[in-house]
Amino acid sequence: MPDLYIFKAQVGMFDPVALQNHSVGIHYQQKTYYRKVDFLEGIPPFQCIDITAGLGLAPVTPSGRVNIVNLEMADGEFGLWRWYPIDDAQIRLYHPAGIAKYQLRNLQVPVDMNILFRDPNLVSTEIAVWQNNRPAVEAINGHAFALGAVRLIAIGYRFHTVNLEGDGKNADPELVNAIKMGKAPCTDVWCSGRGIGD
Amino acid sequence: MLLANKEGIVVTGPVVNLVAAGVGGSLVVFTIPVLVGQLVGVKSVKILKVHLFNNTAGNTWVLIGNGLPTVGLPVLLPAMASMNNLEDIYDNLPEVESFADIVAWPAALAGGGTIDIMLEVAVIG
Repeated sequence: MPDLYIFKAQVGMFDPVALQNHSVGIHYQQKTYYRKVDFLEGIPPFQCIDITAGLGLAPVTPSGRVNIVNLEMADGEFGLWRWYPIDDAQIRLYHPAGIAKYQLRNLQVPVDMNILFRDPNLVSTEIAVWQNNRPAVEAINGHAFALGAVRLIAIGYRFHTVNLEGDGKNADPELVNAIKMGKAPCTDVWCSGRGIGD
Repeated sequence: MLLANKEGIVVTGPVVNLVAAGVGGSLVVFTIPVLVGQLVGVKSVKILKVHLFNNTAGNTWVLIGNGLPTVGLPVLLPAMASMNNLEDIYDNLPEVESFADIVAWPAALAGGGTIDIMLEVAVIG
């Protein structure tokens, strides 16, 4: 199958991570769910949050950590998102709220408006969200003046999936075993970050 | 490139006739797009161009700010000269961003004179 994998981009493109009938392994922290995509659709760019909730952000101040509830998905669905800010703050991402994303040993890499110049496809911002396990963000205003808002734009795909495990009508234990043994294709989708040393 | 690297949709406000001088004479010259429950996301605007026409109001200044007159008006840009009976067009302005409706008022008006004003803005968000 296919050369489908996350963090993939060609010039001017943002590819879906799986197509109709493709198997996916949803990884959420230490858990893995084997499922099959039975529907997908693109989601146009939209404003998913004002981190300041309309209150603005004071000069040289970080905001509190805020959940991005607008990136939550319905039951049995995962979203694949890329994102960028449209106000001049540095953004730290957490996914879920307790785990830092883009975490290096000594630094949690922030994202700012320059991402559109330095990574026009936004491939490095890509995250996946499993059901209601949404990410959270903090904004840092480094300016000597207040920001009126810190808004993020997200673009992506919505995937509806059915369960290949258990005893439901879509269960396929032979396929799941084949995937686990590496004999059947499956795209792994990481729907959370991971703590250092975890 | 997947995404435009310059946000903003350029639109114009209405022509507004300023008939009273001072902060008390301020009128809304551009309204932030807001439709609670129907519009997704927070909008703001950056002023790109200001067009003034002075109707025998004498040489004066026009100020642009936002907020409500009753609580004082933060001025967004330096005062702009308006010459008697002439038009003045200001562009290449500092891209001041406002999250509230933009208002304008003349510092003074000669007897019976008025000033027409129109803005061009970029709507962001």
